[in-house]
Amino acid sequence: MAPLQKRALYSFVIGLVLTIALIAVLIARGDVNAFERDPNLRIIMYAVLIGVPLVYLILVNITLRKPTQVDERDRLIIERSSRAQWLAVIFSLVAWTIALSEIYRDQGQVPIAFLNLIFMSSLIISTLAQSLGILVGYWRMNRNG
Amino acid sequence: MGRIENRIRRLRFDHDEMTQEELANRAGCTRQTIIALEQKKYVPSIELAFRVARAFGVPLEEVFQYENDN
Repeated sequence: MAPLQKRALYSFVIGLVLTIALIAVLIARGDVNAFERDPNLRIIMYAVLIGVPLVYLILVNITLRKPTQVDERDRLIIERSSRAQWLAVIFSLVAWTIALSEIYRDQGQVPIAFLNLIFMSSLIISTLAQSLGILVGYWRMNRNG
Repeated sequence: MGRIENRIRRLRFDHDEMTQEELANRAGCTRQTIIALEQKKYVPSIELAFRVARAFGVPLEEVFQYENDN
C-alpha cells in the first residue's frame, strides 16, 4: 500500500469517527441550538473549526514535500480526487440550502447554530470525499492502469 | 492507438537484481510506482522515464518502447 493510500485510509476513518461524534453530540444535547446555549461547546467548536483546516494544511504540505512518499503518480491521483471533493462539498451545500430554506421558510430566519454545523459538515465531507477519491483512484489505477 | 512497453524488470535483473526499492530511490519515485510501471498499469511522464533510464545508465529507448497497434 502506497504511503498516500495509507494516509487516505486513516483520513477516511478519522472523518467517519468525526461524523459519528458530531451526530452523537447532537443526539446527546437534544437539538442543534444546544451549541448556542453552551458557551464551552461553542469554544470547543470554534477551536475545531480553526484547528482542523490548519492541521490538514500542515499534514498535506509535509506529505507532498517528501519525494519518497509522494511522486507524480500519487499527485495525479490527488488531482483527480479533488474533483470528487469539490463536487461532494457543493452537493452538501445544495442539500443544506434546500433543507434549511424549506424547514425555516415560515420563520424567515435560520438559527445561527447552523453556521457551525454547515461549516463542520463541509470540512468532514471534504475530508471524506478526498480520502475516498484517493482510495478509488488507486483502486482504478491498479485495475485499469 | 499505440502503447508504451518497458523492460524495467529485465533491466533490474541485469543490474545485479536491483530491488524495486533501490530503483525507486534512484529514480526519485515510490516503490508502488515501479510496481505499476512493471505491470504496465502506469505510463510515466517524460521526466520520470528519463530518471528511470538514468538509474540504469542506459538510453531512454532501451527502457521504454512505443509499440504501434497497426
